Amino acid sequence: MRKLLVPSLAVAIAAAFVGTRAWADSTDSARVGDIQYGNALDPTGWAPLLWADPRGFSWLHAGMMRTPSGVLYPYPPRREDAGSPLYKNSDWVYSGFLQLGYLHVGGDTQAEFLRQYAGWRDGLAPGLFALYADDPKTGQYLEFRGSRLSGDDQYYRLRSGQYGVYKVEAFYRDIPHHVTTSAYPLWNGVGSTDLTLPAPLMPGGSTPPEVAAVEKTRPRQTVGATRRREGLGLEAKLYRDWSGYISIVNEKRTGNGLWGGPMYLNYILEDNGGALETVRPIDFTTTDVSMGLRDAGTVWQFQLNYTGSFFRDHEDQLNFQSPFALRNVAGVPQVANIHQGQFSLEPDNDSHNLRAELSRSLKWNGQLSLATAWGTMRQNDPLLPPVTCTGTGGVFISPSADYTFNCANWNTGAALSRQTAGARIDTGLLDAKLTLRPTSRLGWHAGVRWYREDNKTNYLAFNPLTGQYGYIAENGSQGSIIPGQIGIFDPRNPLFASYVTQVRAIPFGYSDTVFDTGVDWRLGENNTLNLTYSFDRNQPKYRERKRVNEQRIKLAWVDRAIGKGTLRVDYEFAYRNGGPYNYNPYELFYSTALPGFVTPPLGNVAFTTDAMRKYDLANRVEHKFHATLIYPIGATATISAIVYATRDDYAAAIGRQATRNRGFDLSWDWQPSPMTSMNANLGRDDSSLDFSNVGDNENVTGGPGRGDPSLGGPLFPLANQWQGIDHERDYNAGLTLRHDFGRVRADFSYTYTYALGRIGYAFASAGALPITQQPFAGDVGNGFPDNHYHINTLQLGFDIAFSRMLGLRVFDVFETGSFADWHYLGLQGNLVIDHRIYTDLGPQPHYSANLIGVLLNVKL
Amino acid sequence: MIFTTRTAILFPLAWAAMAAGMVLAANPPFDDLRKQAPIHGDAVAGASKAATCAACHGAKGIAVAPNFPNLAGQSATYLYVQLRAFRGGARVNPVMQPLAKTLTDHDMRNLAAHFALLPGKAVSRAAQASSRGSILFHDGDAALGVPPCQGCHGIDGRGPRPDRTSTAPQPAWSSFPVLAGQNAPYVLTQLKAFRDGTRIGTSNDKVMQGVAHDLTIADMRALAGYVSRL
Repeated sequence: MRKLLVPSLAVAIAAAFVGTRAWADSTDSARVGDIQYGNALDPTGWAPLLWADPRGFSWLHAGMMRTPSGVLYPYPPRREDAGSPLYKNSDWVYSGFLQLGYLHVGGDTQAEFLRQYAGWRDGLAPGLFALYADDPKTGQYLEFRGSRLSGDDQYYRLRSGQYGVYKVEAFYRDIPHHVTTSAYPLWNGVGSTDLTLPAPLMPGGSTPPEVAAVEKTRPRQTVGATRRREGLGLEAKLYRDWSGYISIVNEKRTGNGLWGGPMYLNYILEDNGGALETVRPIDFTTTDVSMGLRDAGTVWQFQLNYTGSFFRDHEDQLNFQSPFALRNVAGVPQVANIHQGQFSLEPDNDSHNLRAELSRSLKWNGQLSLATAWGTMRQNDPLLPPVTCTGTGGVFISPSADYTFNCANWNTGAALSRQTAGARIDTGLLDAKLTLRPTSRLGWHAGVRWYREDNKTNYLAFNPLTGQYGYIAENGSQGSIIPGQIGIFDPRNPLFASYVTQVRAIPFGYSDTVFDTGVDWRLGENNTLNLTYSFDRNQPKYRERKRVNEQRIKLAWVDRAIGKGTLRVDYEFAYRNGGPYNYNPYELFYSTALPGFVTPPLGNVAFTTDAMRKYDLANRVEHKFHATLIYPIGATATISAIVYATRDDYAAAIGRQATRNRGFDLSWDWQPSPMTSMNANLGRDDSSLDFSNVGDNENVTGGPGRGDPSLGGPLFPLANQWQGIDHERDYNAGLTLRHDFGRVRADFSYTYTYALGRIGYAFASAGALPITQQPFAGDVGNGFPDNHYHINTLQLGFDIAFSRMLGLRVFDVFETGSFADWHYLGLQGNLVIDHRIYTDLGPQPHYSANLIGVLLNVKL
Repeated sequence: MIFTTRTAILFPLAWAAMAAGMVLAANPPFDDLRKQAPIHGDAVAGASKAATCAACHGAKGIAVAPNFPNLAGQSATYLYVQLRAFRGGARVNPVMQPLAKTLTDHDMRNLAAHFALLPGKAVSRAAQASSRGSILFHDGDAALGVPPCQGCHGIDGRGPRPDRTSTAPQPAWSSFPVLAGQNAPYVLTQLKAFRDGTRIGTSNDKVMQGVAHDLTIADMRALAGYVSRL
């Protein structure tokens, strides 16, 4: 039947005639690399090419179309009517763009927040090089895009193919990640696996003043890493509806990162122990592989997919020297002189996942989808010995109180029960979903999903050389300060036969079954209701609960009858409960479960209080509310408003008790013509976290009542309980304006970001404080100083066209910020405090920087 | 905050370069019709100015030869914007351009109103519903990417019937021509001109350039023949 096709035709023609070429990113199953390519100069990666086409969206009508929700589509980017032929009489046409010029950064150029993800430097910079060529007759195309700010901040991407037949994509990019620009590492060898003390400091033989004096001479350094990513992908049509794809992406991270060291005893034992902030090397490679087959038939659809991920850490360990001597609190002095440590860095690991999906179209506009997957994650790196010390560690008090150990029994692989990790987790998935839409007003869906993580790791910390269990703590230093605190259990030695320590890896795993169903119901032309219900049964292994159920119901209403706008309102309620809560399910993995363990006459110290409820397993009631209003103003503007709130209440006397989150976003978009666009936005987000804990009564840990886990009991008295409230408030605002004057195009933007963090606390008595003997115990007040993060960025730019081919971009970015974080208080000029050595001075409290760019625009 | 002398030098230089480039460029003649409102004119006054037109388009708006367009019964707004395009150079024709330059805007409106009121050409032979031209006109050709002509020119070729209830931006419907009864050779010539890019001076021409891009000569002939018999 022939019908008048005016409205739909208008859209069709509009899309056909003022469409864009390939100047846009897209997603697909064979994608390699990142969806978004950009850098600090141009986060979009396309900005010079995204000026709106003055001809607008369509030759048929002025003004812009709106989405069904009422949001204005953006005007399409400018394009030439036709590219230039590649050569005489060629069917291939090409167009391109080169932006090349000079960047200059002035002001506080080393400010951390300026450089966090940007490799700014003075000098020549190819801001953007983009080339597109295609053959309209065959549908073949070639696209290249690249940008370079510096050697560690650049990207290049090449895509080619033939529409509907095949496509190939290759990319290379470097992304900087600066953790801090004001690091003053004490050690030599930063970036390597061996941190050594600079002269004249001596391992284990230097005093805090000596270390502080050397620290003040250390040069400022930047700590961070560069992610180098490269990849290749191919997708091709194979036969009829069948297609195949394969991609491989390799990511190499090189650099260094802030790391730890010993964190022991210095707060309570002056001039003893130590807390060192070291710097570790970063030298990782992650290779991801994806391949699959897909049948996109009209009735049956099938997909088989394999993904593999292979992580390699080219540095196995970090060795560091400590300048401070240890001092045992009892026994013969100077039993040990342990002044070095070793960290095992991340192990190599492999992951494989095989997934099959089958879908069939049904009558009533239905679809049945079935999926199954199996995966395995494995790591089997050689294990490092527990210590690197030599000689005798520990504390000798008397022949009957000999708490020493022989380092030679623990500093080789022979001290381990196995030589490699043998860690393995297998996963399984079954998923089924049925969707039916029998009428245009009614839709229904139901699904069931089962997933399991089966952890097969089984490591026993047993030393065949000594017959002892456990792991020497802190490279032996802990047991060399406090007698008996070595970290080992020995059923044959009464001194260690009652020592509680973990001796097995806990193979955490779970299975999860989710059933969900929902109905969509269209009420009239302008209202839609959606109701969904889900039941989630999680069965964790070796956790405080063996079963956790969560029921969730969600009601959504969409109304399009408020003027020409759209209102969406969602409310969600969830209730979580489960089986009995066992505050210590880890007994099996501790020495207390081993034969020969001697329970002390007063019992073991309670693992924790039985009032503790971990937040992922605790009973919880959740309310979520979300409302969005999109309201067109005339033909050229849109106001949108989002309001949201979430409230979670946990049934926990100890642990996380409540979280709150609420906020709003307001936005105004104005597109009076393709030549002008403007956006203003304002947002605020408030969140809070309430939590409580109780300090154990140190006076009871050695006496009666030590095994009582009850809150209010002798070990966990109510007087030791404390409460914390963590508030976070964030504001953001922005204004952007672009106008095309013809030969000159101007762009302006201003962004404002403010984050305020405030941690308050209350406590029943000084017993709740971790360091009750410190003189400041009575002056701790009711909160930490406020943290804040404050940044203003102003950008103004002009693009000036000298001819159709040649133009100039001139722009200026001015950024100023301020920062405060109480974690860094007291460190200015004082990175060594007793036996504590800090590396990171923290971000600059105030900074201002200016970036000027003069770039030549050349159309190719 | 410390700013270097280089910053101090580059900053004013950059702004000076920006200021130096702020000269507006001239564009080739182009008539954007997307906001064109329906026009009104004095048909009687127009009739008094139509003598020159009659030489080619006939005293009653029916062309004296099939290579000229019939003007009788045509959309007044369409006729007006064509005269305006001839006068401004957006549509190129060695005969029409000098003639249009002698007309005032009032003259053009009046002439358009005059010809629009004249009865259109009577069709001597009915169009064939199953012809290739009919298929293209009513259904287009999805495989070729050709949209159906009826979408803009009306199901009977006598002008569009816009959807008045739609809130979406609307085309300038009145600027689309009536095709029914138009001379086939003239229609064929214009389709070729759209395809070849020799008639692209208005936004409507841009639409037609895309439509004609994928039409073969045979299809153009079929279409021209079909509409001439509507």
